Amino acid sequence: MIETAHTLDAKGLACPMPIVRTRKAIQGLSPGDVLEVLATDKGSTADIKAWATSSGHAYLGTEIEGNVLHHFLKKDSALIEVKEEIPVMDLESFVRKVEEDRSLTIVDVREEQEYQEEHIPDALHIPLSEIESRMHELNKSEDIYLICQTGRRSGIAGIQLAENGFKNLYNVVPGMTEWTKQTKKGN
Amino acid sequence: MTTRTAIIAANGELFDAYKVFNIATAAAASEHEVTIFFTFEGLNLIHKQASANLPLPEGKEHFAEGFKNANVPAIPELIAMSQELGVKFIACQMTMDVMGLEVDAFVDGIEVGGAVTFLEFAKEADVTLTF
Repeated sequence: MIETAHTLDAKGLACPMPIVRTRKAIQGLSPGDVLEVLATDKGSTADIKAWATSSGHAYLGTEIEGNVLHHFLKKDSALIEVKEEIPVMDLESFVRKVEEDRSLTIVDVREEQEYQEEHIPDALHIPLSEIESRMHELNKSEDIYLICQTGRRSGIAGIQLAENGFKNLYNVVPGMTEWTKQTKKGN
Repeated sequence: MTTRTAIIAANGELFDAYKVFNIATAAAASEHEVTIFFTFEGLNLIHKQASANLPLPEGKEHFAEGFKNANVPAIPELIAMSQELGVKFIACQMTMDVMGLEVDAFVDGIEVGGAVTFLEFAKEADVTLTF
């Protein structure tokens, strides 16, 4: 089980439990925090979206991995307006970039367990839920390549970074699901 | 303005209980102010013993397995959760008199009232449902 301060595991729960648990989990967070909700209830996508809208939280999207839905919510925010599209870099071009330049700043925004299983060697690890509090670790003048499993979470991370003045961002799409080059386990 | 949801529970089988408590908890989790008026067979849904052993409709007994497989919470859990979320339960006094039931036969924290008690709440409701 992926467990971070901002992840709620609602897998295996039937309606209306994912919503009830989400409400409880989000109460403990601060405005602007991102909550990831894991669920297997197929109806939860529509429910979470409707619930977020009526409760004043932003629904950032859902990423599907196997039969697990990863819903992303931002507490007390209107829907994020994408003023600036984060440039997308296709995986193939990204692979070439990585091979050319080993010192590339790659930020993997997946959760701890996903990162531990396998990641690109030298990729920094800042889970999506910690982007806001840890963005000071990144250099605004550098090119930053954001990656997750499919490109969804890295896109959200990119928007958060762009809102805070980061300019040279690239969202790698798709992400680790189709990465076939060298990987590293653990930290 | 808080959204208000008024529910009448008038039937006492397992399906009825899920309809009532699922909608009630979902509404409460969406910050609605929720009141359920339990009348006639609906009183089974908050009866201490009966609520834990509600029957499936005749001929639908095979759904018992489906409930188990879908990992649906048991009715007593949904009752507790509803109350935790602030859902108000009103048991119908008249039905209790007809059935010879006292308030201590029901789960804790309920109110007893008549039709007018419910109507006072329901007249300002945004959502009104009958099960």
